[in-house]
Amino acid sequence: MMTLLIIKNRLFRPFLFLFGLLFLLLACQKKSLELAPVTSISEVDAYSTPEKMLAQVNGLYGQLSNASYFGGRHLVFNEQRGDEFSQNDGNNSTGANVWNQSISASGDFVNAVWTAAYRTINSANILLERLESQTFLSEELKIAYTAEAKFVRAFTYFSLVQTYAKPYNQDPQSLALPLRLNAEVSGGNNDLAFSTVQQVYDQILQDLDAAEEGLPTGYSSALLNISRAHKASAIALKTRVYLTLSDWGKLIAEAAKLVPDFSPYQYSANNIVHQLEGDVTQVFGGSYIGSEAIFSIPFVIASEAPGQQAALAYNYLSPVLYLNEKGIASHEVFADPSSTDRRKQLLVTNANNQKLLNKFPHNSAPYLDYIPLIRYAEVLLNYAEALAQTGDLSRARELLYAIRHRSDPGYNFNSGVVGSQELVETIYTEKRIEFLGEGFRSWELFRKGLPLPAKQGNAGTAPEISPDAVNYVWPIPSSELAYNKLAPR
Amino acid sequence: MQKLAKGWKFAFPVLILFFFAPSYGQIQTKPIVNATIYGKVIDSISRTALPGASVQLEGVTHRVTTDEEGNFNFVTGQKLPATLVVNYIGYKPKIVIVSELPIEIVLEPLLNQLSDVVITGYSSQSKQLYTGSASQVKATALENRPAQSFDQLLGGQAAGVNIVQPSGALNATPVFRIRGINSITSSVYPLIIVDGVTVFTGSAGGDVGNNPLAGINPSDIETVDVLKDASATAIYGSRAANGVVVITTKKGKPGNAKATYDGWVSFSRPFNLPELLNAADYVAIKNEARTNAGLSEGFVLGQDKNGKNIETDWYDVAYHTGVSHNHNFGISGATSATNYYLATNFTDQNGIIRTNNFTQKGVRLNLEHELNKLLTVGVNATYNNSVNSGPNTGAIGPNSVAASTGTSVNTQYIGLQPLGRLTYILPPNVPVYLEDGSYNINAANGNIGYGPNNPSLGVFNAYNLQTILDLDKNRSESNSFVGSVFAELSLLENLKLKTLYGLNHLQVENTSFRNPLSGDGFVTKGSATNGTTKYQRASWTNTLSYATNFGEEHHLSVLLGHEIIKTSVDGWGATRSGMSDPFFTSYQGGWTNITPANNIQSEHAILSYFTNINYDYAGKYLLSVNLRRDGLSALAKGNKWGNFGGGSVGWNISEEEFFKQSAVVSTINALKVRGSYGVVGNSSLNDYAALSIYDAGTYAGFPSLNFSQAGNRNLQWESSKKLDIGLEIALLNHRLNLSVDYYKNDIDGLILSAPQASSQGIPGNAITANVGSLYNQGFEFAINAALIQKEAFKWNVDFNISTLKNRVTSLGDGGDIYPTSLSTFGIQNVTRVGYSAGSIFAVPTDGVNPQNGNRVFINRNDEKVQYDAINKSFSYLDGSVAPRIDNYADGRILGNSLPTYYGGLNNNFSYKNFDLSIGIIFSGGNKLHNGTKATISDQRYFNNGVFIKDRWTEPGQVTDVPKLVWGDSFSNGFSTTISSNVEDGSFAKLKNLMIGYRIPLGKSSLRNYLSSLRIYAQATNLFTVTGYSGSDPEISINGNSINSGKDQNVPVNARVFTAGINVGF
Repeated sequence: MMTLLIIKNRLFRPFLFLFGLLFLLLACQKKSLELAPVTSISEVDAYSTPEKMLAQVNGLYGQLSNASYFGGRHLVFNEQRGDEFSQNDGNNSTGANVWNQSISASGDFVNAVWTAAYRTINSANILLERLESQTFLSEELKIAYTAEAKFVRAFTYFSLVQTYAKPYNQDPQSLALPLRLNAEVSGGNNDLAFSTVQQVYDQILQDLDAAEEGLPTGYSSALLNISRAHKASAIALKTRVYLTLSDWGKLIAEAAKLVPDFSPYQYSANNIVHQLEGDVTQVFGGSYIGSEAIFSIPFVIASEAPGQQAALAYNYLSPVLYLNEKGIASHEVFADPSSTDRRKQLLVTNANNQKLLNKFPHNSAPYLDYIPLIRYAEVLLNYAEALAQTGDLSRARELLYAIRHRSDPGYNFNSGVVGSQELVETIYTEKRIEFLGEGFRSWELFRKGLPLPAKQGNAGTAPEISPDAVNYVWPIPSSELAYNKLAPR
Repeated sequence: MQKLAKGWKFAFPVLILFFFAPSYGQIQTKPIVNATIYGKVIDSISRTALPGASVQLEGVTHRVTTDEEGNFNFVTGQKLPATLVVNYIGYKPKIVIVSELPIEIVLEPLLNQLSDVVITGYSSQSKQLYTGSASQVKATALENRPAQSFDQLLGGQAAGVNIVQPSGALNATPVFRIRGINSITSSVYPLIIVDGVTVFTGSAGGDVGNNPLAGINPSDIETVDVLKDASATAIYGSRAANGVVVITTKKGKPGNAKATYDGWVSFSRPFNLPELLNAADYVAIKNEARTNAGLSEGFVLGQDKNGKNIETDWYDVAYHTGVSHNHNFGISGATSATNYYLATNFTDQNGIIRTNNFTQKGVRLNLEHELNKLLTVGVNATYNNSVNSGPNTGAIGPNSVAASTGTSVNTQYIGLQPLGRLTYILPPNVPVYLEDGSYNINAANGNIGYGPNNPSLGVFNAYNLQTILDLDKNRSESNSFVGSVFAELSLLENLKLKTLYGLNHLQVENTSFRNPLSGDGFVTKGSATNGTTKYQRASWTNTLSYATNFGEEHHLSVLLGHEIIKTSVDGWGATRSGMSDPFFTSYQGGWTNITPANNIQSEHAILSYFTNINYDYAGKYLLSVNLRRDGLSALAKGNKWGNFGGGSVGWNISEEEFFKQSAVVSTINALKVRGSYGVVGNSSLNDYAALSIYDAGTYAGFPSLNFSQAGNRNLQWESSKKLDIGLEIALLNHRLNLSVDYYKNDIDGLILSAPQASSQGIPGNAITANVGSLYNQGFEFAINAALIQKEAFKWNVDFNISTLKNRVTSLGDGGDIYPTSLSTFGIQNVTRVGYSAGSIFAVPTDGVNPQNGNRVFINRNDEKVQYDAINKSFSYLDGSVAPRIDNYADGRILGNSLPTYYGGLNNNFSYKNFDLSIGIIFSGGNKLHNGTKATISDQRYFNNGVFIKDRWTEPGQVTDVPKLVWGDSFSNGFSTTISSNVEDGSFAKLKNLMIGYRIPLGKSSLRNYLSSLRIYAQATNLFTVTGYSGSDPEISINGNSINSGKDQNVPVNARVFTAGINVGF
């Protein structure tokens, strides 16, 4: 049986020693539970240096350029909901159900756009909070970064309110979105009542006014000037917002900051110039950093570029979408054999005799086309419409002509430019021609309260959606409805 | 809590010393005088020899073990009569006085089940004294059956274990569940321990199967112990929520070296492929859909140059009869001090899918050597190389080795490249090759060429499967080492210190190539991805075990342990695209672009202290306590440590005198009741789950940071409370054994990826938090009957059945949980309070309106709504406008995806030299989503099932197939899940049938070379009884996920015929 005698036995002394060693080793192991990631930066350190602050700012734009969002798909969806394109691919994963208007609240894309937008917004909100409390940045940078965050937030809310809420001109008091303005870092704040369309626009304009104030006029390189917001970006976006609100006076006031009263139409501030490029086809076709770009997403390296189904080039050239014969492609600018409009060069015809949009020609991976989000041409046309609406027809015409003559110098408008309303229509049509495929079409229909037209394509048919139909705009996604108890049902 | 933690730190060494101090005993030896004691040890019932029994002279340490024939023999100085103490695990110890030689010693088994011990990984215990709930699968159930990994063979073999073979793709990881689903968003995979080493599980292969468990050769396995209740699993603490599988590999048996060769060759065929339209029917059906949509016809029946109709059977392109062969060679043996087992295996398997090939080479060495009376050292190690190659089938489950989450879903089933989907959708009226012998490819987009069809039909986003099989490559190679070295120090006969260092090193290299002509490589002008990942888990386990008897009847054993397990994953790779010349076919060739891929660098550690105390009084009253304290690096400071534990009691009623005296003893040979309760956890968290982190990226080429994970510093251990009550009974001379268990697992403070309203903008729209609860409960019955035990004819039956009720009782503040990513192709599973986890979800339908052929749905308000696929409009049956049907809002839970009962029936017969075994598995009570049916009723260019011919064509026609409208992917449930594709998933399957013949060597000359020779023929998946209309109710595409019960677009299962040979030398 057991006895303590043995302890005296020499044989066991080495084992006793081993035991001691063993437990010493065990005691040292506590530290092994203190592991930190080496490929990610923890919250504590993520805002700790000027370089990291700048990286956070870049991250905002990175969120915006998500493939589901302005990196590709969001723009394609806006076109698919409109009538300029016919669907060639019946696959829902390339948006056949967006095109034929049958997507519902639990649809992937309805959720994906919303999620990408709110991630961008939350990143902006977090950065805004961090900027308030941080200490080492210069006042100048702090102001500039704050303004950039507000610009991105406004840009995002504008796209959300266009996609998921009743158009302002239809009912500004209807419930639109949850207006998230505080940083969400640990979740739990699921429930937030929706704000009205009016409240969302008020916030957008408030952010843009503040952004204009705080943004620099420009940056140190042409690439930075197009890829990050500067003063002109905020002003130009305001013209788009006021256009949507039909607030012509405010639109004119903003546009006038960028567009002089008389030709040549040009904006310059310090080292930056915005004007129409001489040849519209040069605006597209790749690494564009010319003076027409006010805000673009530059896909410069392969790892940033969107994947196949999100890439604009893939959608327009493979094609997922070909030009609807009954859309703007039937306009004389594109369809008349004698048309010499440069913009006609942006269309191509494939072996199956389908007309395709060739603004984004890099149709193989990596899809390195730049994506223009705000162009100087848009400011001119927004301005033109406001002037036409308010009776300044001659200046409105001049701006319209500037756009047309850039692409077709010899063209004479023989009709449609005399009366105020017909001029408005002509400008509206010019915008369809100029911005074909750039993601404007359904927004333009919404602001005018026009139905989403019926259309036909190889993949089937899509019915007309009238402005009072429930699916005129996209439904609030299921990922919000399921968890936000205050969401309207 | 914190205080307790500190307390432990100090208490532990003290405790250890406490057990340690009084236990030094002197080993005495006496001079040996030349005298011999010899004899034989046999079983009291079967009267067969017992090899490996320990025979010891009382009062001295001189001890020998019996050899293969049960004989022992030792030289001693003792004079007769002498007293011998004979011990053999699973038998009553016996003291005999020897006065005559040789002596026959008859041992009485503790229970009928000979040598039944439960191996818990850290220790083992005789089944009779064991109070936990565990099932054991023996080598015989795993041997000689064709498989890539042992887990594929466990189906139906043990109560409470549910295995689903997901498809015919080689080495795809099967679904493996023990007593239901015990988590929602953490891993639901059981913990698997091989010879003390925790091994990696999941899918490691990218597009092709790579189950790390294939690194354990089934024929090296001695036993698989499945630990189910808290008492059995609590020793594994935080890792035990999903049950524990403890695998013990073979050891050499006493006696001369034994060499064996086992080999088989098998032939696999796909079975039960859904019947699709032929070219003529296809053209007619598709044109009808075009016409109904108001579009021009465009499908044309084409002719080849011989004037014959073009008719392509894409199944023939995809499938063939795969021939496989497998070889195992082993040498084993043991002397009194050393036992060894050395085995090698080689397998070369070709599946039913063309180009799918799996080869494996492995070697195992198990060695245990008693250096001296004090110290035993050993090693159990296997090194294995496996290579699986073949096409992307779409069948590989979503749970990777590094990140295993319960809500994962397979998204490959709708990918463009996978073979399963292509076989269903490719048009039968287009040729594989053009007249000139080149591939039929649409040069504009790399899809299948239109053949005779009109190109204005739009995109055929299907690739020419032949090009994919011929030109594309996927390969997954694993080099794995699973092994441990250990040393056991006998401080006393009954006090042992064991230290074990275990290493599981899994190096995986995945490579793929995509051709630029057709397939996923078209848009990138070809691409190649190489990635290599090193998974490493190192563990160091130290245990101190002590066993003692005090008084006559008190038996106590105590185990104290410490363990540290470190796991790291380190992977890197890249994708190259834009082939610089068509010459190149590999990553190392010439390319124009490169982007990073498969980069991962992550680690975690678990530090643990544990103890196991077993006590019994006279083998009647049993008590067992397990405690474990785990610290996990993934949790935040202050929350790292958790306490787990379980206790159990048992009563061997049949050991009571009153029982022994009663009349029932003649029928009831053994009777035991037991109960256990305890708390275990789930530690399969993201390695940095508690932290909020930012990931680096670029924007416009400049560095960026993005909020990528919202952490939760308050994250704590979840607790899974397991209750088990069991009864074990042996009847009719131990020939009928029955065990019944009731179990209930209550999981509280579930670690859940708690969904967040997406407007919060939280990455992944989820926070890892301790919310929610669920339970699993049910009964398990296991019957083992030796029905006939004649000399010439034997019939053994094993039957087990388990019931399962899984209910989610709370999801915290959040609502329903959907699969990790919403799909544009519908929601098939939902986890909702009050229902089983991952229940089958669909919008109810009510047939087809006979007036107009529209599908009729039942909306959230129980109203009938019809869908007009031409106008994409919804209306009530009276024609007034109805709100659109939405999968989420109108969908309902239609049943659980988990079976409510499952089990197996195994019959083994032997007649003279013949043996026959019949293995049946069954499960039921669950719903299945027949997604393949949705695919093959889609109204695009997709081929359709022959059932589509019943479509609605004229008013008044009653049918369940709606009017065909080109472009309609809604009416038949492809983009929204509908109840008409939800079916009962109950089935019974003749999984395994084997007939063998032992060739009598008799006096033939073979006898000089061989000791035994057996040949056998075997068949797998012969026959299924089910009401399910799809190919196979066993198919499940989401792997080890709670989102089970989905069958869509994956290759069918294989029917395998095998012939084999077992040779003993």
